[in-house]
Amino acid sequence: MSNQLSRRSILGKIGATLAGVLAAPVARTAKAAVQKVLVTTGAPKGYDPTRHKWVMAIDANRCIGCGLCAEACKKENHVPEGAFFRTWIERYVITKPKPESGETRGETLVDCPDGGMHGFPALSIPKEEIQHSFFVPKLCNLCHHSPCVQVCPVGATFDTPDGAVLIDPKYCIGCGFCIQACPYGCRFLNPVTKTAEKCTLCYHRITRGLKPACVEICPTQSRVFGDLKNPAPDDPLEKFYQNNRVQALKPHLGTEPRVLYAGIDKEVR
Amino acid sequence: MPPQVLRIFLLAAGIVTAYSIARYFLTPPSFREYGFYRGDALTELRAREPVFAGRKACEECHSDEVQKLAKFEHKTLSCEGCHGPGQAHSQNPDIKIDKSNYGACLRCHEANDSRPKWHKQIVSRSHYTESKPDAKPGVKSGSLCTECHVPHAPSEVP
Repeated sequence: MSNQLSRRSILGKIGATLAGVLAAPVARTAKAAVQKVLVTTGAPKGYDPTRHKWVMAIDANRCIGCGLCAEACKKENHVPEGAFFRTWIERYVITKPKPESGETRGETLVDCPDGGMHGFPALSIPKEEIQHSFFVPKLCNLCHHSPCVQVCPVGATFDTPDGAVLIDPKYCIGCGFCIQACPYGCRFLNPVTKTAEKCTLCYHRITRGLKPACVEICPTQSRVFGDLKNPAPDDPLEKFYQNNRVQALKPHLGTEPRVLYAGIDKEVR
Repeated sequence: MPPQVLRIFLLAAGIVTAYSIARYFLTPPSFREYGFYRGDALTELRAREPVFAGRKACEECHSDEVQKLAKFEHKTLSCEGCHGPGQAHSQNPDIKIDKSNYGACLRCHEANDSRPKWHKQIVSRSHYTESKPDAKPGVKSGSLCTECHVPHAPSEVP
């Protein structure tokens, strides 16, 4: 290259600059055209996720195992038929220890026929052998440190500012890593859409001012739901935390679930 | 500059340029709105229509029933727990609620050893015939409960 200015080099430089200046709006228009495909329209507006923090709590003392929540969840979220549940109920039976075994507890038996959505049949274990039996509703534990979010290879699942852990079905590739990662078994692969699915806290309901379907339907108020950032007057969530000694499931895993349980035994996992 | 170094340099520059162009055009506009994900995903999930209308929607037309219910033990029950999902009905009253969705009383009140003790339970097989000795044997319970009990006011006897 010569350092001398020639007419040719100057004209060339001016041309290149002009092309650059002209290319910028063209690129911007092209970007806008491409992104039109990526933008969603038509969804209801006027909800700010940063102003809410939704959370659910479970009072297992009140659960009667009717299964209305599991059934309502299926209907509300159009969950496919079969063994796919966003929320379900487990029945725990802790038998009496064998006499002279010196144990405090017997065996722990758990069953969950059809997610509990049609109720529970009578126990086959005779009453005399049962030390304690109870129902535990299960759902996404809304972890602070969600293993499912950490393992997703495409960033399709995430913690939202309002407390839900959601899945972007357009990004999910259905690899199933998150299903294996969730220590609470809260995820499944939807056989229709082939994407991972889980409890969204009924995101379409709570953002409209309704309660999640399971909370709405629960006859005994075993499920408590609320907004930590906007507590209602006489907030059921506040009362729940005040009146109960609560615990999280599998605390040793360090996932720090925000769903807290009252009235469960140490056997519940 | 040795040509092999120049080639590597050009290749690297090409890769970075291609990535930058792809990133410029293909990053969804709502990406990083709330975090390292597509903010529009939240909007899309919100767009789904509810199936259950909620008690408030029921109360708009059936306030007398809701108020009656609130005086009795069944006050914590949701209307749609027994009557089935009602969003369609609440938006258009001409769409009737599907009565096949009506919940049976026994779903909650059939005796089960796992149920908490505070909850009222019956053994349906003997409960009905015990209180009605002249009833036909082998009769199945269900709508028969309402012969003696009022679901909206369970402690009242008709």
